[in-house]
Amino acid sequence: MTEYLDPTDSVAVPRKTATRPSSLDGKVVTLLDISKAKGDHLLDRLEELLRERAAPKAIVRKKKPTFARPAPDPLRDEIVGATDVLIEALAD
Amino acid sequence: MVTQLETDPIEALYERGVTDGLPVVPPTRERVERAVEASGRAGDELVALVPPNYGRATVEKIAVNAVMAGCRPEYLPVVLAAVEAVCDEAFDLHGVSATTNAPAPLIVVNGPIRRALDINCGAGLFGPGWRANATIGRALRLVCVNVGGARPGVVSMSTFAHPGRYTYCIGEHEEASPWDSLAVEHGFAPGDDTVALLAADAPITVYDQRSRTAPDVLATVAASMAVIEHHKMTHWGDTLLVFSPEHAAVVAGDGWSKDDVRRFLFERLQRPVHELVPGKNGGDGLPEHVLRKFADPEHDATPIPKFRAPQHIKILVAGGTAGRFSAVVPGWTFSKGSNLVMRRIR
Repeated sequence: MTEYLDPTDSVAVPRKTATRPSSLDGKVVTLLDISKAKGDHLLDRLEELLRERAAPKAIVRKKKPTFARPAPDPLRDEIVGATDVLIEALAD
Repeated sequence: MVTQLETDPIEALYERGVTDGLPVVPPTRERVERAVEASGRAGDELVALVPPNYGRATVEKIAVNAVMAGCRPEYLPVVLAAVEAVCDEAFDLHGVSATTNAPAPLIVVNGPIRRALDINCGAGLFGPGWRANATIGRALRLVCVNVGGARPGVVSMSTFAHPGRYTYCIGEHEEASPWDSLAVEHGFAPGDDTVALLAADAPITVYDQRSRTAPDVLATVAASMAVIEHHKMTHWGDTLLVFSPEHAAVVAGDGWSKDDVRRFLFERLQRPVHELVPGKNGGDGLPEHVLRKFADPEHDATPIPKFRAPQHIKILVAGGTAGRFSAVVPGWTFSKGSNLVMRRIR
């Protein structure tokens, strides 16, 4: 019986997704543009549909400075503290 | 974190999903300890947090992956420096590992350690045949996947990727270069051992057997650089231009410095706005926020450079001493994206 050392980081816990709300009514929805071409087109249409089909308390628009990097911490904090639901648009 | 395996070690490691598709060397405690010892550093020293999962890359954890990649113990300092470099914020490993584009971290080694470890910087350097090149690059890949979590098709969503994601490590052929090395140009001493890391596409070979002057060689090279990403891509960042010794001799023989080369290429690689409009000769082109700066882009002749500045063209000399070729190694270097990062090997 031979021992092998673990090449992975067993401390890193896979992230879980947040619980999904059953309805968007009365919720603050943030639409995050990651700065890819035409992301705004997609989010404009989503905003229209959300206003048509649901009754969110507010729809907030945010934008990452670049798609090539994770969202900066201040932007994450801004979103986490003020929204119930986040929709991120990739587009292209 | 010790696993007892009763089955065939090679197959068992495949089953655990910790390989790159090729068999790995089983990381026994003895092998890993030899590598840690050769580094002269403590096994529990934290070298970096590896994006995108920000896993903890300690010296020992990196050594486990280096052993699996087939590294000799004395290669570990190079792997440690490479891990440190890709985890620098400026490298943007998060983006490099997750993008649908195809970059792989390329390691360029400078300094006497190239000879000490037999890192190939001559004939066939981007290809197989040298243990150091093959396993140092592979070790970095295994760290990115096993510690960083960049599993292909799960987190790493590159549409194509490229073979450099198995291993991508070269040395500069400093002895065949008429200029200062890449490392010396970036402020290191000639005796320093360094790594330079670039999020890089596969090399594009540039064939030019007939040019005998610097402007002729560089005109050929420029035309290949013009199509990086696509022919209308602009504002590009760090990209490697690898001259073979023969091409370097022609260019330097005309008295051209590396700065002269950069200036020539930067100036030549500019196109008027009207040639860069999306939907004209291809659907892609200048982004909307750039187009908005021009009242009538369809007829505007303002020159737009391929690169954001001449210094983004990084030059080194490598490859066999026979052959009039150069290689362009495009970076994945959008503005605000990844950059070349260098580290001293210690």
